[in-house]
Amino acid sequence: MEIKIMKNVLDRNKNKANEVRSLMKENNVLLVNLISSPGAGKTTLLDCTLEKLKNTFKIAIIEGDIATDRDAQRLKKHKVPIVVINTEGGCHLDSHSISKVLPKFNLENLDVIFIENVGNLVCPSHFDLGESFKLALVSTTEGDDKPIKYPMLFREAKVILLNKIDLLEYTNFNRSSFLKDLNNVNGKVPFFEVSCTANINMEQWYDWIFNEIISK
Amino acid sequence: MHELKIAEELIIIVLKVAESENLKKITKVNIQFGKMIQIVPDIFRFVFESGVKGTIAKNARLKLEILPIKFACKKCKAETEIEDLLFVCSFCGSNDLELIQGRETIIESIEGEK
Repeated sequence: MEIKIMKNVLDRNKNKANEVRSLMKENNVLLVNLISSPGAGKTTLLDCTLEKLKNTFKIAIIEGDIATDRDAQRLKKHKVPIVVINTEGGCHLDSHSISKVLPKFNLENLDVIFIENVGNLVCPSHFDLGESFKLALVSTTEGDDKPIKYPMLFREAKVILLNKIDLLEYTNFNRSSFLKDLNNVNGKVPFFEVSCTANINMEQWYDWIFNEIISK
Repeated sequence: MHELKIAEELIIIVLKVAESENLKKITKVNIQFGKMIQIVPDIFRFVFESGVKGTIAKNARLKLEILPIKFACKKCKAETEIEDLLFVCSFCGSNDLELIQGRETIIESIEGEK
C-alpha cells in the first residue's frame, strides 16, 4: 500500500526558522546569515564591520565553527556579545541551533546580529536560520567560477561581496568571467568589490548595511 | 554533506508515518528534490541506507526524482525551464525572475506492508 505524504522534508527546520524570524521581528533585530568558503574573510569582514559600526548600532555575533573558538577570540576586543556554536564536524548551522542560543542575548537591546556560518558554500545555503537575509562573501583567491557552481547561494543572497580585490593581479581570477556568471545567476543583486584588509571600497558595504539596519 | 541532514530528517518522517499507519515493513520511499538543492544521489542513497539500518525501512527502495529548475519572468510573465544555470528569460531576456521550481525537498509517499 502507498501512503501519500507530500511534505517538505526540511519542515522541522523551516518551522523553527519561522519562529526565529518572528522573534527577531518582535524585537526589531536584523539577523544576517553570512556565508562563504573557508578562508574567504568572514571573520575579517565582521572585524572591520564591528570597528566601523559598533558605536552607532548595538551589534551581536553568533560564531558558527566546526571546532575551536578562534574566530570568537579574534572579535573579543570589540566587547560586543558573542556566542559560539561548535557544530563538532557539522558542515552548517540550522535553525534549531540558532534558536537555542538566542536566549543568551538581550534582544530588546540589539539592532543587528551577524551569524558567521560554517565555511562552506553548499550546505549552509539549504538551511534557513530565520535570517532577515543571506550575505554571500567570495574572494579572488578562490577562483572565478563560484556563482555558477553554487547557484543556490548566489541566487538567494541579498548582497554579495567579492573580497581580496587587492590581490587580483596575483591570481588567475578572471573578473569578467565572474561578473558574467554572476549576472547569469543573479543579475539584480547588490554587489561590491572590496578588500577588508587593504580597506578598499569598504565604505560601499558600510553604507549598504547601515541603510539595511536603519530601515529594518 | 547536506545530504546527511536531509536524509536524517527524511528518516524521521518516514518512520513516524509508518508507525501511525501501523506498517510492519517499508518497501519504497518516493522523494522529489529540486536541481538547485545539488544533491548527489549516490551519497544520498548511501546515507539513507546507513540511517535506516535496523529499522522497518532497512530494505526500502529510494525513488529519487530530480525536478528541473523553472522560473516565471516578472516582466513578460512567461514560464521557462532551464537546463543550464542561465537565469535569464528566454522570451524577453529579463533577469527579473521568480523561481517556481527547483529548490524542493519533498517526500511524496511511502509504500509498505501491514
